[in-house]
Amino acid sequence: MSETFFAINDLTRRKLQTSLVVSGLALCVASTLFLLLLGDKLGFGILSMTERLLTTSFSRIFSNFIIFIGLLVFFVGAVIVAFMVFIMMSQRIRDIGLMKATGCPNDLVFGYFMNELVVVTFSGCLLGVILGTIADYASTNLLNNMGFQASQSTFNIWLALIIFVIFFAISLIIGAKPILDAARIEPSRAMSPSYCFGLRKESDFRGSAKAGLTFKIALRNLFRRKSAAFRIILCLTTVFILVTVAIAGGLIADQTTKSWIEKAVGENTVLIAHHDICDRYAMLLSKFYETTESPQFNYTDGKYLISNDMVNQLSTMPNVGFDLRLVLESQVKEVEGWTLDPKLGTRPIGDSRHGTCLVIGIEPQKVASQWFVNGRSLGDEEAYEVMIGDSLAQSMFSSPLYQNMTFLGEKFDIVGVCLDPINNGNVTYMPLKILQRVTMTTGPNAIMARIEPSADRTTVLNLIRASLSSQNPEFEALELDKELAKATGFLGYIWSMIILLPLFTLSAASLCMMGYVVLTISEQRQEFGVLRAVGVKPKAIVKIVSAQSFMILISSYAVGISLGVIFTLMILVPEPVVTAYTVVEIAAWLMAALAITFLLSLYPAVRFAKKPIIEIMSQS
Amino acid sequence: MKGTNEAVVLASSLCKTYRVENTQVEVLRNVDFDVKESVFTVISGASGSGKTTLLNIISGIDKPTSGKIIVFSEDLGAKDEDFLASFRCNKIGFVFQSYNLVSTLTVAENIAFPMEWLKKPLEQIQRRVEELLDMVGLKQRAEHFPHQLSGGEQQRVAFARALANDPPLLLADEPTGNLDTRTSLKIIEILHGLKDDGKTVAVATHDERIFKLSDQRLLLEDGKLVSKNE
Repeated sequence: MSETFFAINDLTRRKLQTSLVVSGLALCVASTLFLLLLGDKLGFGILSMTERLLTTSFSRIFSNFIIFIGLLVFFVGAVIVAFMVFIMMSQRIRDIGLMKATGCPNDLVFGYFMNELVVVTFSGCLLGVILGTIADYASTNLLNNMGFQASQSTFNIWLALIIFVIFFAISLIIGAKPILDAARIEPSRAMSPSYCFGLRKESDFRGSAKAGLTFKIALRNLFRRKSAAFRIILCLTTVFILVTVAIAGGLIADQTTKSWIEKAVGENTVLIAHHDICDRYAMLLSKFYETTESPQFNYTDGKYLISNDMVNQLSTMPNVGFDLRLVLESQVKEVEGWTLDPKLGTRPIGDSRHGTCLVIGIEPQKVASQWFVNGRSLGDEEAYEVMIGDSLAQSMFSSPLYQNMTFLGEKFDIVGVCLDPINNGNVTYMPLKILQRVTMTTGPNAIMARIEPSADRTTVLNLIRASLSSQNPEFEALELDKELAKATGFLGYIWSMIILLPLFTLSAASLCMMGYVVLTISEQRQEFGVLRAVGVKPKAIVKIVSAQSFMILISSYAVGISLGVIFTLMILVPEPVVTAYTVVEIAAWLMAALAITFLLSLYPAVRFAKKPIIEIMSQS
Repeated sequence: MKGTNEAVVLASSLCKTYRVENTQVEVLRNVDFDVKESVFTVISGASGSGKTTLLNIISGIDKPTSGKIIVFSEDLGAKDEDFLASFRCNKIGFVFQSYNLVSTLTVAENIAFPMEWLKKPLEQIQRRVEELLDMVGLKQRAEHFPHQLSGGEQQRVAFARALANDPPLLLADEPTGNLDTRTSLKIIEILHGLKDDGKTVAVATHDERIFKLSDQRLLLEDGKLVSKNE
């Protein structure tokens, strides 16, 4: 029999075991590749730090998560692959011993099983690359169909190749070890359960005499198979760490980042301005989630300015709060600053960089928006101070809070760096009065109207629109909630993709668990057969196996979740928003992860319990 | 013979065929016999003649391809797995040739577990375990694990386990098959005791020393019952 024929023949005859290992490997490769391709495509993550979408701070938060989760996915992938190959080879060691006992030379035995390993790992890695590519293509298409612009760039074949080679090599190295070991030792030892299943003759743990028989047998079997039990616990622990970080961290970060945007843009907020300004403002907001061209625009054209009459009339409306704004685009310049260094004394910081950004004049005392600010918000309407967006801070300043900026020849203190989706964070806020004075503009060109949540929104909107059309039909009221929903929707979508990513790994872990159960059953086949023969019902066998699975899962779960929570807190966004609903949602996801893994792990036990006793005992 | 005339086991036209790939292997061919209460039956025949299959069918571990097997008035061929499991636990004790003890349970626990499945009270279980350990002479080995026992000792534990629920029918498959002469004698002693107690026993064996205990002998040849001596 040729070595290849033996391998293929053997693998096709052991369908469940083969498919478990191949699918487990494929899922690990697929999840790692998917994460890298997606990160690359969205412009943040491990491969590229060029921020195409999202403001710098948001991009950094996503990057932190993706890098952390990416490392975890890779680590979990390696652990899962190691365990899968260990299981596969553990089940073959007895056969290796048998073949050696019948006189098969060492090199031929090694060749047979190495070929088997190569076939399995090659198929698993190839399938993983295909699956990962499909998942990436599908998610990008989905993103684009939802109205966002994620580039469907050409398939990064090098990345796929690197992942393929790394996982293939890891699998081969890990898998070759037990084959080599088994090929070297005496046949009698290879055939002994204590070697091939990593069994101890006697368990150190006897359990309580009063413990139920099911638990007694389950617990003792668990303690007898220390090597395999330890490996699966390690494997599942890393999986649960990943799941916790991705789910808990993802959900909390999703809530937090959404709340930053909602507060910056303002909920129940309506922009009142000339329809050109409204269109322009919507376009500026959309820069957060899609790349858009922004042609020249004269914001301070007389037709865009809001008259005092219009302001006065609007201010009389009940249930609405107004704040005036002047929006324009202009050059701003960095001013070199000084900072105190404990060792070197004062040292210069920054340069004299300049660039164009959106400049918005606001009424500091009235403004409805609440930004997430590093530093402080604007306070005095007569002070020459500014609060800048995070992307501007990143691209033009070294230590913005210790620096100044100049705008139309005037010098401004930078008092805060805020998160704001408008113009993708390339924005400067300053007091309205100062902006008007510096630009010599006579009035605002936008009014932000915040409708009280208790008021009837439609009625208020109708009143505003009626007032506008009676004064200047070219002015309109733009509901910002729609724009806000798009921005938060985009964030939500990316977070949900990150949160769903561990599902790949979780599926691989479930397959691992199934592999472990198959190993457990192979080793206990004879005993289960005897139990059945002396009158134990099939469901009792399922109970024993499920008790073992549950004990493994619950110990991995406890350690994994605890470590996951610690890691989540370490990498979590500042000032996280955690609502009671978020906690329930996280708990539900984590419980579901446990339940899914547990239920899937029972499949081999249920399948085994249905077998006739004769079949069970004859295969022992 | 101390028994009544009531048939504990009734086999009629019993056939068992296994299919291996495209080949059919007939293991039992139209076997008819009965085993009456308190009768010690020996099933003999060459290796591969169908002795183990016959015991498996009587115990409900396996089902006939055709024909009927009635044990304690139950048609076992028509019953589902759950029924058969309870039936074995209550009515039948089975001793395997290769002992088949549960390796993770101690000697005492191995004997106790068939009673635990029936949820018998703990005191009753403990009493019965002591009684059986006494009977098989392994009282000192109660807390040992199977791998710490010799083959003969393991087989005695297997007998004790088979008798745990005091089943009205005991089946033993080559109980001395793997044992040396001296150890076999202890097993034969146990079988002798069971016969004296009036237990219905069916033993598949080649061992002539066990033949001497028999009230009824069934000889199988290539799956056919060729002689039945009472």
